[in-house]
Amino acid sequence: MSGLKALPLATIAALALGSAATLASLQGGPGFGAVRLGAWTSWPQVGDSDIDPYARASLAVDGALPLGSREGVVLIATTDDEGAPLDARCDYRISGAAPAARFWTLSAYDVDGRLRPNLAHRHGLTSATLLRDSDGDFVIEAARGARPGNWLPLGEKSRFVLILRAYQAKTSAIGDAYQGMSVPSIARSECS
Amino acid sequence: MTEALSGAPRVAWTRRLSWSRARRERQIDRTIRAIPWVLGALFGAVAVHLLTILALPTLWPSAPYRALAAPLPLGRISILPRPGPDSGGAAFPDPFAVIALCRFDLSKGSARILAQADGVHPFSISMRLTDGTIFYSGNDRDTPSGRFNIRIVTQKQADAEDVSQNSGDEAAPTPGQSGATDDELRLASPNLRGFVVFRVLASREEDYDAARSALATARCATEKPSP
Repeated sequence: MSGLKALPLATIAALALGSAATLASLQGGPGFGAVRLGAWTSWPQVGDSDIDPYARASLAVDGALPLGSREGVVLIATTDDEGAPLDARCDYRISGAAPAARFWTLSAYDVDGRLRPNLAHRHGLTSATLLRDSDGDFVIEAARGARPGNWLPLGEKSRFVLILRAYQAKTSAIGDAYQGMSVPSIARSECS
Repeated sequence: MTEALSGAPRVAWTRRLSWSRARRERQIDRTIRAIPWVLGALFGAVAVHLLTILALPTLWPSAPYRALAAPLPLGRISILPRPGPDSGGAAFPDPFAVIALCRFDLSKGSARILAQADGVHPFSISMRLTDGTIFYSGNDRDTPSGRFNIRIVTQKQADAEDVSQNSGDEAAPTPGQSGATDDELRLASPNLRGFVVFRVLASREEDYDAARSALATARCATEKPSP
C-alpha cells in the first residue's frame, strides 16, 4: 500500500472508529460509578467536582442540569423491577418508601428528556402532596388513564423514563452511603 | 514424444506453484507494510475518541453552559421558562423546580451571589464551570438563616487576599466592604468562566409562582477589583 493511498484511508478509519467509540461510550447513562437500587440507578459523582469526563460528556449531550451533591440525589428508572423497559401501554404500581430527604419529586419523561403531555396537565408528584398510609408508605399508580389516589399520568408515547429526585437527601454523595437507602418498587400491572 | 507429453504438465504445474508462492509472498509483504497504517489508525481512533469526550462538554450545542448560560449578560439573573412538554430549557427538568441562571466571568472581577431563602420553599445554589463541572453546591439549611452570601474569585485572587490579610495590609478588605463580610463564603473557582444555578422548589405545580417569587431578592453581580 503506498503512503499516498494509505494516509486518507487510515485517517478516515481513525475518525470513524473514534467517533463510533465516543457514541458507544455515551449510551447507558453518565459515566462510571453507577449505583443500582432495585429498578433505580444513580450516578453520585455527577454532582461533584470529581465527575469523570465520560459523565460530563454524556450530560452535555443530554442537555441536563444535574443536582449538586448538597442539592440532592437523582434516581432514574428505565425499567420495572423485573427489568422490562417502562412502557406507557402498561400500568405501574410504584410503592414503598422514598429516600429520606427534605422533599422529593417523581416525574415521567420521554426518552429524549421532555415532560410527557397528558390531558390532566400533571407532570409529577411530590412528597408534600402524596396520600400515605399510617406507616408513611405510599402507592402511586402510573397509568395513561386517571386513577383515584396518587396518580402519575403517563401520556401517550410508549417508552418513558421515571426520575425520582430526593432534595437535601440524608446521605452523602459517596456510593457506599446509598446502601440501605429506601427506594420505591416499580411493579407492572395490566397492559393494553 | 512420451517425454514431451509427460513434461508439459509438470512445467505448467511448477510455474503455477511458483506463481502462487509469489502471490502469497506479495500478500504477506502487503500485510506487513499495512501494519503501521493499521496501528496508526487505531492510535488515531483513540485520540479522536479522547478528544471528542473532552471537547463535547463545552462544544456540544445542547450543553447547559452553551445553550442556557452563554447567551445571558454578565451579572444578571435569568429565570428559565416554566418546565412543560413544549418548553425549552434543560432536558429532564423537574416540573416543581424554578431554575434561574447567572453567568460569571472572573476576568472582569469577582462575582457576588446574594440570595435569601423564604424558609418555605427548599432553596439551593450550585456553581458550575463551562464544561458543566459543579465545584460547589449548597442548600438553605447549610447557611445561617437561609441566607447566601457567596463571592467567587480566582485562586490567584484568593491567594493574594490571604497574603494581604496575613501581612496585616491595611488595604485588605474589611467587613462591610466588597472584599469580605462576616457571613461571606469565598469560593475559588478553578476556571475564569462559569455559571450559577439557583433552584427553588414548589410543593405542587400550583405553588410554582410562589416559589418563583422566592428568587426576587437574589442578586448576582460582578465586583470590580479594588484599585
